[in-house]
Amino acid sequence: MSVATTPRGYVERPRPSGLADVIDVILDKGLVIDAYVRVSLIGIEILTIDARIVIASVDTYLRFAEAVNRLDITEADHQPGLPELMEEVTSGGASSKTKGVIEGVKEKLTGDDDDDDDKDKDKSQSRSRRSSSSSRSGSRSRSRSGSGSKGSS
Amino acid sequence: MIYVYGVLRRGRSADVAAAGVEQAPIRGVEHGELVALVSDLDGTVLAAAREVRAHWAVLDEVARSVTVLPVRFGTVLEDDDAVRASLLEPNGERIAELLHVLEGRVQLNVRGHYDEDRLMADVVRTSPTVASMRERIKRLPEQAAYYQRIHLGEAVAGEVARRREDDTRLALKALEPHAVASQVEEPRGSDGAFALAFLVERGAVDAFGAAVARFREQAGDRIRIRFIGPLPPYSFTDGELAAGSPAWA
Repeated sequence: MSVATTPRGYVERPRPSGLADVIDVILDKGLVIDAYVRVSLIGIEILTIDARIVIASVDTYLRFAEAVNRLDITEADHQPGLPELMEEVTSGGASSKTKGVIEGVKEKLTGDDDDDDDKDKDKSQSRSRRSSSSSRSGSRSRSRSGSGSKGSS
Repeated sequence: MIYVYGVLRRGRSADVAAAGVEQAPIRGVEHGELVALVSDLDGTVLAAAREVRAHWAVLDEVARSVTVLPVRFGTVLEDDDAVRASLLEPNGERIAELLHVLEGRVQLNVRGHYDEDRLMADVVRTSPTVASMRERIKRLPEQAAYYQRIHLGEAVAGEVARRREDDTRLALKALEPHAVASQVEEPRGSDGAFALAFLVERGAVDAFGAAVARFREQAGDRIRIRFIGPLPPYSFTDGELAAGSPAWA
């Protein structure tokens, strides 16, 4: 389905997606309740690694420097800028190659059931799987005190 | 222990087929006009990758027909009484108010990601500073250029941050008119362009989708756009928001 070439009037259907989107949508969102029980979420740091990439960090600087340095200068010269891009609405293609290692890792984590269909036939699946997760996460313990709960303000 | 998913108004069907955290069945804890969707839990250790999906599946199913206010992932309370005493009772008014505002509306997320090669080429082309730093470093042996590379990267990061701001503004301009409210979130990853959440009337999802299609056309190959939803209003559970946007009134 090539979306880029669609004529005006086209309506795009939103869709739910793989684990990366689920995490993006859910983590750190939703109503926060005062004083709740501390739970340990094993493996949470693997899920959130993408979120912790800070643009203003030496790691990112070095990565950007490398990305800029490996550019072929002639290629750089011939890249169209924003205005030309607006006209040049092509069907694209090459854009998917930079998917990102992290996204790949995350999807692999749950590769078993990526279709989000709630056919959970395998209830027998043992729960012991949790212990195989890589590491013990710092528990997300937001036990706030007080009772007037006014969000995060 | 009780795992909590979300809150809805009493009287709405709270029958949920999806299995919850630890495969437990979903039930409701009622208090006044509100029902909290919960499931029983054995311990306080959860496998994040798996349970985040359970949390999602439960709320996703409910939200297809009813407006539900999501509770933050990983929220566990002592027992049913605690659900009433710590959640429904003290927050009852605020929750009822939010549910009223959110009624008949869904969340749609629009995420933009840059194609990194293209982004870098664009930065080099438009920033003389970056271009000249880059040329200088090319002539140095790798070891010697360590700090120069950090400086170069920092300059690039500044350019990227500027583009993020510009593109966030562009996206908001294109899409905000079709939404009731919007929320700017932190883009994920170093290639993230923008991360936006919109609150849209259920009946206006198609109109919003048309706006997304037009914006995608406008962005071309420069930004890869993901359009996700309809979702329960995960990003609109903060009461503060209500005051921020006049459209909420």
